[in-house]
This record gives sequence, structure tokens and C-alpha cells, in this order.
Amino acid sequence: MRRATLVPYLFVTPAMLLLLAFGVLPIGVAAVVSTTDMNISGLANWSNVEFIGIGNYVALAGDPDFWRALGNTGLFVAVGVPAIVILSLAVALLLERSGGRLARALRSFYFVPAVTGIVAISLVWGYLYNTQFGLFNYLLSLVGIGQVQWLSDPWLAKFSVALVAIWRGTGLNIIIFLAALQGIPREYREAAALDGAGEWRTTRSIVLPLLGFAIFFVTVTTTIAWLQFFDEPFVLTDGGPLGATTSMSIFLYKEGFRLNQFGYASAGSLVLFAIIAIITVVQLRLRRRDVEY
Amino acid sequence: MKRSFTRTLAAVAAVGLAAGLAACSTGGGDGEADGPLTVWVMGDSSANFEQLVAPFTEETGQEVEVVAIPWDSIDERLTTAVASGSGPDLMQIGLSKLRTFADAGTLLSLDDHLADHPGLAADNFPDGVAEATQVGGATVSVPWVSDTRVLFYRSDILEENGIDAPPASWDELREVAATLAERGEGQYGYYIPQWDSPLPVIMTWDFGGDIIDADGNVDFDTPEFADAVDLYTGLYADGSVPTNSDFDQTQGFISGIAPMLVSGPYLARSIADAAPELDGKWNVAMVPGADEKTSLFAGSNMGIWHNTDQVDASLDLLEYLSSVEAQLSWFEINGELPAVSAALEDSSLQSDPLVAVYSQQLADSKVLPLVPNWDGQTGSDLLAALNAIVLTGADRAATLAELSAKTEGTSIG
Repeated sequence: MRRATLVPYLFVTPAMLLLLAFGVLPIGVAAVVSTTDMNISGLANWSNVEFIGIGNYVALAGDPDFWRALGNTGLFVAVGVPAIVILSLAVALLLERSGGRLARALRSFYFVPAVTGIVAISLVWGYLYNTQFGLFNYLLSLVGIGQVQWLSDPWLAKFSVALVAIWRGTGLNIIIFLAALQGIPREYREAAALDGAGEWRTTRSIVLPLLGFAIFFVTVTTTIAWLQFFDEPFVLTDGGPLGATTSMSIFLYKEGFRLNQFGYASAGSLVLFAIIAIITVVQLRLRRRDVEY
Repeated sequence: MKRSFTRTLAAVAAVGLAAGLAACSTGGGDGEADGPLTVWVMGDSSANFEQLVAPFTEETGQEVEVVAIPWDSIDERLTTAVASGSGPDLMQIGLSKLRTFADAGTLLSLDDHLADHPGLAADNFPDGVAEATQVGGATVSVPWVSDTRVLFYRSDILEENGIDAPPASWDELREVAATLAERGEGQYGYYIPQWDSPLPVIMTWDFGGDIIDADGNVDFDTPEFADAVDLYTGLYADGSVPTNSDFDQTQGFISGIAPMLVSGPYLARSIADAAPELDGKWNVAMVPGADEKTSLFAGSNMGIWHNTDQVDASLDLLEYLSSVEAQLSWFEINGELPAVSAALEDSSLQSDPLVAVYSQQLADSKVLPLVPNWDGQTGSDLLAALNAIVLTGADRAATLAELSAKTEGTSIG
């Protein structure tokens, strides 16, 4: 009898240990390090490390680079998350309508960017966007439009980088939406058709509400991912023309690994962690109950 | 059932403990340990370096294990090695990172060993280089390969526009660049890489000044630096320089869009590989200083990890790498210029016309000041200030004042 109740815990323990060791423990360590002025010489010799309390947090509040990175991250989330959710949903709805071979081929076609290595993607897109020798500017020149500085103009660079990330991010979410769409019983759509509802009305009133949980899941995970936006600006512009595409993660990476300011970067990472946690909890609270018919 | 379960568990635990204890035992109680020397080499492949040290292994029987480290992951590798306390035995250190390595306490001081290893003495290397790479007055590394910056120019394009010789001064270069930029829309005269932090320093040197004062503190408030900023901003104001950050310098040179630029020997190899048909249509010259043609002495040093347990073997390998034969062999295998003077003056090197210019330039080159963090901090702040002025039109006086404030107190001491 006692062994039976022990078994579930035995199954959960390995995953819990991994989560504690590589998820919770580093956050704890970062919290402790963020109260010190640890840098590379401090890492070599712990006696060089001094406790400075909330000094790092105060410095962060007065750092214009930090606020600019925060602003950039906010802009990326505001642009990227709706774009990905709407785009993935639209593509999934369209793919689901036709079940033929072309649709199945397209499904893998949309998924390929998500599984391709970021370095390969950055090389190709870097050359597509290149001002003098890129394909986009070449095509524009054929139509008589002058050179566009895709990755050098401070505002355009943000959108160019976000575009590559949106292109990459839709793949997985399309698959998730397709799976959720398959969970909607056909009887509901048939009933709606019998009542005289058209395609668009059916989609709006039957399909979308029943996709509620999938949309919520995609929104939450995409928001968390975009708050930690790193790959595309790092490989395409390394933080952008004069910090224009520096997101919070890139700011932290540069502070921690290029300037070796581990204490300062830890403080920043805790701030980012708090922001992500608060936004996620707010999203969870705002969610209404699932629609059931 | 219960008893056999506990018994199996006890047996497994006992075996595991024994295996763990056996693995913990270390060998070699006497001074030096045995085993292969680990060398960190920068780059994507260890094959070339393995080829270089093969004769050393043959002669002394000492095995050498080479680990290739890509340039952009050196920061993380260093941090991990420092945090864990265990690093390689020898490692290649780019000069701009030397101070960071030394400050982290990762380098063994070589002063006590120089007497036993004459091949590592400062006079084997070009004047001033070995002293310039001391940190805090102590020798912690030995020059390994040298690198410099020279003027690359398309002689055919210059001739087509009536210019027979490369510019002999920065002012002349500015004029030539303006002429070449008039060739048409989208054509430029000169390329300034937006990531090139040594370039404004080279310009300052060529105007007869320096960016550090007599006490070793960084000082951007000098007339020579102001001249360099005039030149830098003037080239942009003339429209002679492309303003986009993703300009490809190799393609720009090959296609003729930017027919002049200051760069290193690596560019010569890239051009020769990508466009062999351009042979004879381009050349290199010393940087166009009017009075001083001083350029950058870059390259890498070799250092020994501070708590290596194979000090003597590492020193022997270091001496081998500093021998003239090894230096010339490395140039043949990998194309990097030697740092040892005797190797640089060797006739086999001097027969290559490009190398003749490089070694002439190396004789008049200076090391970037060994401030705590040139790449991540001082150099990066300098670039940010200059790029803000030329790319976003920031106010020059205010931006330079901010730069001076940011770099206040940075010193090589």
C-alpha cells in the first residue's frame, strides 16, 4: 500500500531534480550574485568580491542603455506577438480547409524555418538584406527604387530583424493550431452550415471560440519567448546600429560576457525574470473560462 | 521480496562508491605531471597547429593536444575556465584581450624562467613589442604571431582616375577618396569599417599624438585626436564613405565600389581567394601618414595557464614555438606573420612583395594601449561616439565630452 503512493513521486523526481538544478538554483545564484560587484577578477578569486546590496539595481535604473533595451524589447513584443499569433492562426485555418497533398507539403514547408539553425538563417538573410549586394535591394533597383538600408537604419533594422523572427516563429505555432483545429468536432460545423452560416461566420463564432485554449497557449509562450528575444538581432546586427535592436537579453549578454560585469548582468536578469513572471501571471488571470458547447 | 530489493540496492551502491573512489585518485605525486600538453589555439580548426607541433612531439616525445576556439566564443571559454579553475597549459591570446586574461589571474609570470629559456627573451622580438605586452611590469606572455594594418588600394581604378601612386598622407587620401566617390551613384572612395576601433587610434598616431598620456591614462582631449576626428568625420561629410553597417569590405574592394581601405593581411588572402583575376590590379602600401606612418601592431601572444601542473614542458613548447624554424613553418602552413625578428627578416619571407610591405609596416607599429577591456569597453565607447557623430548627426563637442567622461580613469596601469 505505501509503495503504491511512493511510485508517482519516483516518476516525477528525475524531472524535478533537473528543473531544480538547472532552473531554480541558477535563479537563486543570480539573486545572490546580483547583490555583489562580481566581475572576472572576482570570479577568479572570491576575496575580490564585495557585497553592495541594491547598488546594481540602482545603477540599472540610471543606465540609459538599460531603458533603451527595455523599450526595444517592449516594441518587439508589441509587434511580434500579435503578428505571430494572427499569422499562424490564419495559415493554420487555410491549411486545414484543404486536406490534399499540397496542404501536407506546405505544412512541412512552413515548419522548416523553425528547425533550421539560426546561424545558417542569419547568413542567408544577412545577404538578402545587404545594402549594396543584397537580393532585396537588387529587386528594388530593377523597379527603380533606391537602396534601402535594411539593417543600418535604426527604425527599419528593428522591423527587418523582427520579420526574420516572425518568419521563424510561425512554424511551430501553425502545427499547434492545426492540432487544436483537428480537435473541433465536425458536427458543430455541420450544424452551423445547416443553420445557414457561411464560412467566415462559422470560423468567427464556432471555430475561434473553441480554439480559445490554443490561442491562449500560443500567446503566452510567444510572449515569454519574445521578452527574451536574442537570436535574430544578435546574429544579424549584433544589437543593431548603435543599440537600435538591442533587446534586454542582448544587453545582459554584453554586460555579462563582453564587459564581464557578472553582478550587474545578474541584477538585470532578475529584473527581466520579474517582468516575464508578472506578465505571464496577468495573462493567466485575465483568461476567461474555456468555451464549452 | 523486500529483503532482496534492499540487498540489490546495497550491492549497487557499494560498486558505485568503489568506482567513484577509484576515479578520484590522481597520478603523479612528484613535481611535474605527465600527459599531453593542452594548447588553446584561436580559429576554427586545430589541424594546422597540430601539423606545426608534430616535429616537437617527434623530438621530445611530449604529446600535444590542440583545442581550436572560435574567436567569438573566447569570452565564454575564458569565463568558464576561470570559474572552474582548470584551463589549458598554453593558450593563444589576442593582444586586445591580453589585459583581461592577465587581470583574471590566468597567466603564469614568466620573469623567473626567462633566464633558463633564452628563446623567450625580449630581444628576440621587434623593438618594444615584448615590453609593450607586459602587464603591470611583469612578462606574462610571449609574442606568437604578428598582424598589422596597411593601405589596400585598387591601382587600376586609381590610374583610371588619374592617380598614379597611392596617397602619401591622410589629407591626400581624403582628396583621392573624394575624386573616386565622384565616379557615380553608389560609388565610394574609401571604406571605414564601423567596427574598426583601432582605425581612429592609427589616425591619431599618424598625426603625431597618442590616446594615452604620459601617466598611462586614456586621454581623448588632445589636438592630435581632434585632427583624427576631423579626418574621420570629414571622410563621411565628403560622401566618400558608405554609411551602412553591413558593407562587405571584400566584395566592395573586388567590385570597385570602395577601392581603398586600411586592413590586415587576412584581407589579401580573401581577395586572392575570391578574385584571382584581380591579380596585379591591386596593391598594398604603408598607412598614409604624413610625418608618421605608424600603424597597429596586432596579433597574438602565447601564455601559460597560471596553475598548470606541467610548467617545464609548457616552457619547452613555448620556446619551440618561438624558434625561427617554427615561426617560418607557421607562416607557410597558416599564413600568419611571425613575431620573431629573425624570422621576419628571413629572405624566404621578404621575397613576397606583400610581405615586404607588411614587415616594413611592422617595423613602425604600436600596440593598442593595454587598458582593462579595449574590445568591450574603451574601444567600443570610442566607436559608439564616432559613429553617433557621423551616422546620427550627434553634436560633436557634446559626444566627445561624454566619451572623455566615460573613459576617465581608464589606464594601462
